[in-house]
Amino acid sequence: MSTTIVQNKEYKNKQKTKDNFISAIIGFFAFVWIFPILWTLWTSLRPYNDIISYGVFSWPRNLNLDNYFQAFRVMGLTKYFLNTLYVMVPSVILILFLGSLIAFVVSRYSFRFNLTLLLFFTAGNMLPTIATYIPVFWLYIKIGDLFGNRSLLYNNYFGIILIHVAFQVGFATFVLSSYMKTVPKEISESAILDGCSVFRHYWNVMLPLLRPPLAALGVLMSCWIYNDFFWALILMSEDSKRPVTSALRQLQGQYITDFNLLAAGASIVAAPTIILFLVLRKQFVSGLTLGATKG
Amino acid sequence: MSDVNNGISRRSVLKGAAIGGAGLVAGGSLLAGCGKKQVTGDVHFTIRGNLSDAGAKIAIAANDAYTKKTGNKVISQAVNSDDFQNNFVQIMQGTPDDAFGWMAGWRTNARADAGLLADVSEQVKALGSSLSAAAIQGATNPSDGKQYIIPTTYYPWGLHYRKSTMQELGLNPESIATWDDLIKLCEATQKKGLVGYALGDKGGWEAMGTFDILNMRLNGYQFHIDLLNGKEQWTDAKVVEVFNHMGELIPFMNKNVLDISWDGMRDLLLQKKCGAMMMGSWFANDFLAKSQADYDDLWIVPFPEINPEHGIDSIDAPLDGISVAANGKNPEGGADLAGFLGSKEGIDAAVAAGDTNIYISSDFDTSSYDAFNKQKLAVLGAAKNIGFFLDRDTRGDFAGPVVGPAIQSFLKNPKDLTKILESTQAQWDALPAL
Repeated sequence: MSTTIVQNKEYKNKQKTKDNFISAIIGFFAFVWIFPILWTLWTSLRPYNDIISYGVFSWPRNLNLDNYFQAFRVMGLTKYFLNTLYVMVPSVILILFLGSLIAFVVSRYSFRFNLTLLLFFTAGNMLPTIATYIPVFWLYIKIGDLFGNRSLLYNNYFGIILIHVAFQVGFATFVLSSYMKTVPKEISESAILDGCSVFRHYWNVMLPLLRPPLAALGVLMSCWIYNDFFWALILMSEDSKRPVTSALRQLQGQYITDFNLLAAGASIVAAPTIILFLVLRKQFVSGLTLGATKG
Repeated sequence: MSDVNNGISRRSVLKGAAIGGAGLVAGGSLLAGCGKKQVTGDVHFTIRGNLSDAGAKIAIAANDAYTKKTGNKVISQAVNSDDFQNNFVQIMQGTPDDAFGWMAGWRTNARADAGLLADVSEQVKALGSSLSAAAIQGATNPSDGKQYIIPTTYYPWGLHYRKSTMQELGLNPESIATWDDLIKLCEATQKKGLVGYALGDKGGWEAMGTFDILNMRLNGYQFHIDLLNGKEQWTDAKVVEVFNHMGELIPFMNKNVLDISWDGMRDLLLQKKCGAMMMGSWFANDFLAKSQADYDDLWIVPFPEINPEHGIDSIDAPLDGISVAANGKNPEGGADLAGFLGSKEGIDAAVAAGDTNIYISSDFDTSSYDAFNKQKLAVLGAAKNIGFFLDRDTRGDFAGPVVGPAIQSFLKNPKDLTKILESTQAQWDALPAL
C-alpha cells in the first residue's frame, strides 16, 4: 500500500525488547502475587493423610475434591453467609448514607470548622483498630449494663454494624468529599437559586451525581466488611452469630489443624470476593483513584 | 383510704415473706437432708474445638446424658479453641456460656482471683473420694483454697518412640534408666542415620516439655514450681545445669528445630525418621488416624533419672476439666453440669461416645484401655508429683512471651546462656504484680 508509514526497523526492535523486558518483570511480580493463591488451591486438592505420610513437598499420590465437600459440610456455610449479609448490607448502606451527608456539608457549605470537621472524621482512620479493642469492648459492656441488657451492643449484630460504620465512615467521607469538590459549584448555585432546600439539594441534586463514587465505595466497603474477622471475633460471644470468616475457624481443631481442609475452606470463603472483583473490576479500579485529582 | 390499704398490703406482704422465709428454711433443711439440691434452668456450654471433632461429639453425648438425668436443657456451641483461650478474659467479662472445658493451673487460678470463675468446691466435695488428693490439690487455687475447676482428664508428657524403629536398631528404650543411657540411645540412633532426639520448637512451647522434665529430674518438683513462681532465680547454678543438659541433647536433634512446630516433630516420628521424642501423648490420635498399625507401634516411657535424689518422681501431666463462668446466666446450673461431667455417670456417657482420654476419677473403669493407654497410666503412676506444663504452672505473660523465646534463643545459640538467663530473670522482675 502506498500509505504505509515507513518505520525505523531498529527502533521497532528496540521497542520490542523493551516491551518483553517489562512483560517479564510484570510477569514475575504477578507470579509472586498469585503464588500463594495457587498454592492454596493446590493444597486444597491434596488429602491430609498424604501430607503427614510424605511431607508437604512430596509428589502427590491423590488429588481430589474431597476437602471441598468436607469443608462445605463441616462449616455450615449457609448460616455464616447469612450472618455476613446481616452485618454487611446495613453497614454499607449506613456508611454510604452518612458519609455522603457529611461530605456534602463539608464540601458544599463553607463555614468556620468545615476543614476541621473533615479532619476529625478522617483522623479516626489513622488509628489502628487493635488499639481501640479494649475500650470498645468495655464501652459496649457498660452501655449494655446501663440499659440493663448486656447484649444490647455486645454479642449483637447491631453492635458490629455500628463499629463498622464508625470505622469506615471517615474513609467514605474523605473519598466522597474529594469527589464532590470536582463537581462544578455552578450546579449547586443554580439549585439554591431555584429554591432548593438543603436536603433537596443533597438528595435530588448531589446524590445522583455521586453514583460512580458510591458504587465504587460500596464495592470496596463490602469487600472490607466481608473480610472482617477481628470485630466479629471479639464483640460476639456466640459463634452462631459470627460471620463467614469465622466459619473457617471451625475447621481448626484444639490440637490438630488439617491445613488441606483449611485451604479448601479458605478457597470457598474467598470465592465471593474474587467473583465480586472480577464482575465489578471497573468500579474497583475507579475506587482506587477516586478523588485523586481535585478539581 | 389508700394509706390503710397500703398498710394492709404491706403488712400482708411482710407476713407472706415471713411464711415464705420459714418455708424456705424448712425446704432448705429438707433438701440438705436429702443431700441433693435440685438445680433447674437451661445451661449453656462451650465446646473448645470444632463440631466435627470427636471431642465435640463426646461432649454433646455427655451433655445429653445430663439433660436426660435432670431435665435441664444444655445448649452447646463449638468455638475455636485458640480464639477462646486468647480472648478468655473478654469472653468471661461479657456474656459467657455457663460452663466450658478448661485447664487447671495458672489459667484457672488467676482468672478465679479476678472473679471471673465460679467456685465449684461444693461439686468437687460431692465427687468425694473418686478424685485423688493429688487431683484435688492440682485443682485448688492456692490463694483461697477453693476449687474453680472440676478435674476430669489428663495426659502424660514422656519419651515417645516407635517400637518397630527401636527393634530394627536393636535398642530397648524401656531399659534406659539414667541420663547416660539416654545419651547412648541417642548416639546409637544417630549412628544409624536417624534423628536422635526429635524436637520442633517453632511454636516456642514445645521445648518447654524438655525444660520442665530436665528441671524436675535435676532439681526436683519443688524447685521447678518455685522457679516458675519467682521464688527461685533463673540465674541460679541449678538452672544453668538444666540448660547444660539440654545443650548435651542439641547435637542429637534435627537441624531444623526452630523451623518446625510440634506437628513437624510428630511427622518425624510418624515417618520413622527419628528415635525418641519428648511430647505430650495427646498426639497419639494422629497415629490412630493414620492407621491402627501406626498407633499400635507407638509407645511411651518416663524420662530417665538424672539426679538419684529425685529419681523419676515427677512428671508433666496437664490436667483438664470443666470450669464455670461467674458472669454466666446460670452459674448454678453450670456448676451442676460440671459436677455431673466429672461424676461416674458423666464419664460413662463420654466413654460410651468413644472418649479415649484418661479420666482422673477412680470411678472410671480402666480395664477397657488399650495397651498404649495402660502404658500412659503406668507412666503417670510412676510419678509422685504432677506438674501441669510450664505454660500452666507460671504466669501467662511470662511463659509465652519470655520463657518460650529464651529457650528458642538457647537452642539457636547455646553459648549465650548467661545472657539469656539474666534477661529472663530481669523480665520476671519487671512484671507487674498480679
